[in-house]
Amino acid sequence: MTRVDNELPFFFGHDHELFGIHHAASHPGGRAVLLCAPLGQDYIRCHRLYRQLAVALAAEGHSTLRFDYYGCGDSAGDSDEVDWHRCLADTVVAANELRARSGADQVLAFGARLGGSLALAAASAANFDDVVVWDPIIDGQAHAATLDALQDAMRQDTKRFVRPRASEEAAGQWLGFPVNTLLRQQIAGLRAGWSAVPSLLLDSLASAKASDWRELAIRDAHVAPIEPATPWDELSHLETAILCHPLVHAVVAHWREHAYA
Amino acid sequence: MRESAFRFGRAGHLIGIAGVPASPCDAVGVIVLNAGLVHRVGPFRMHVDLTRRLNTIGYPTLRFDLSTIGDSGATGESQTRNQQICADVEDAMALLHQQAGCQRFVLVGLCSGADKAHTAARDPHSHEKISGAVFLDGFAYRTLGFKLRHYLPRALDPRRWWRRLARQLNAGGVQENPVFAVAPLPQDVVSADLTSMVKRGLKLCFVYTGGINMYFNHQRQFRECFGPVMADPAVSSRYLEAIDHTYALTGDRQRLVDHIDGWLRHNFPIVHAGASS
Repeated sequence: MTRVDNELPFFFGHDHELFGIHHAASHPGGRAVLLCAPLGQDYIRCHRLYRQLAVALAAEGHSTLRFDYYGCGDSAGDSDEVDWHRCLADTVVAANELRARSGADQVLAFGARLGGSLALAAASAANFDDVVVWDPIIDGQAHAATLDALQDAMRQDTKRFVRPRASEEAAGQWLGFPVNTLLRQQIAGLRAGWSAVPSLLLDSLASAKASDWRELAIRDAHVAPIEPATPWDELSHLETAILCHPLVHAVVAHWREHAYA
Repeated sequence: MRESAFRFGRAGHLIGIAGVPASPCDAVGVIVLNAGLVHRVGPFRMHVDLTRRLNTIGYPTLRFDLSTIGDSGATGESQTRNQQICADVEDAMALLHQQAGCQRFVLVGLCSGADKAHTAARDPHSHEKISGAVFLDGFAYRTLGFKLRHYLPRALDPRRWWRRLARQLNAGGVQENPVFAVAPLPQDVVSADLTSMVKRGLKLCFVYTGGINMYFNHQRQFRECFGPVMADPAVSSRYLEAIDHTYALTGDRQRLVDHIDGWLRHNFPIVHAGASS
């Protein structure tokens, strides 16, 4: 990963509010891939991995677009303005941008964590031909409770702070990022039930079983374990990048071997 | 204010976002360097918050990824890491000059970003373009004062002795994982560098936090580490004990952004085009 000649950073969408990096395919084919980022600290932790995946997919002939939702990354908007429905709308805009840039007939989508949930929720509107997800969030209530607990533990963590911080200083935030009331409600209300079914679910949760994903209507055979387990919700790894070569290999191999009509 | 994305640099290998204020002015350009391996948005998107605030008050900014970090690639040149950093900063200054007309620049860096800002600013000719630097949790050394403040209360507390003994017994001879790290510059070298920077006219802003309290634990330690240069009017220093190393709470980030905003306005006031001097 030394050359960036085929990687173009740009702003797009209404008022050029969205930031993206387009990885042009080394030998363009008929398919392109949209990478849907997770939210919050998962986004920061996965940035490098998403780049590695984009480079690998582009080398396979898939024109690939990474992008930031409004209020995330380099896109316009403050971090406390993130809105689930705006993320879905941004995903549709990004898919159309990718179609226009690549000329691809088919657009596939990948997402990790809430990025996976977003890819599935937006699949119909974005007209995705296929979706692959990695440890998607399918129980928003449990996810919100986990983030609340982690936030409370973080403010009291004396490895981070000389003294525990007051609860009001940490209120309205999840692991470094502000969370507005609406977004909290939207995420807490997330339930699987999207019409799209992923063709592959990569599972690196230490505690999960294939049957745990049945709410997604996915067959057990389409759930593939990834090892080692990813420390998504471990406070001690809060600022550790998530790198997973087996994940990159699995996604690239899956789309190499499967064609979608 | 408008932000634009660029692929730039001597080998077209760097990726960055330039923010240029709407009204033309003669402000210094502010360049924010990577904190560790976090890409240009910074820990918890801090660099985005900072650069956009500075844009609103009139400072052109550039947040970008240094060679091989974040979205930036490598040049293929045979250079040391320090040579790469200096060349990347040169490329960044050239871009901001091209986009906003900036002639002078201030570097901002957190943690290893502060070390990189120091690397660029210690060059004997840096003052020809670099007017200042903001070092966030940068170089620090365990001084005698640090040791007294750190160890004395512990030595006098029997509960700490008990906890230490219990930890050693529980560890059972477990070896710690090897750590690969770059040795920091020696204290006397850093002290001489800072003195040289101030003599060459640079303004320096130090903000250190309780997040590095394993080697820095008091406002006085700035002077203990770096000597009389810290009393120079060109140097501002602040120790924020309650705050963590990467400013994980939104209020803490706001406080830092306010502080840098105030420091810049004080040291590099903006003169808008057409304003009388």
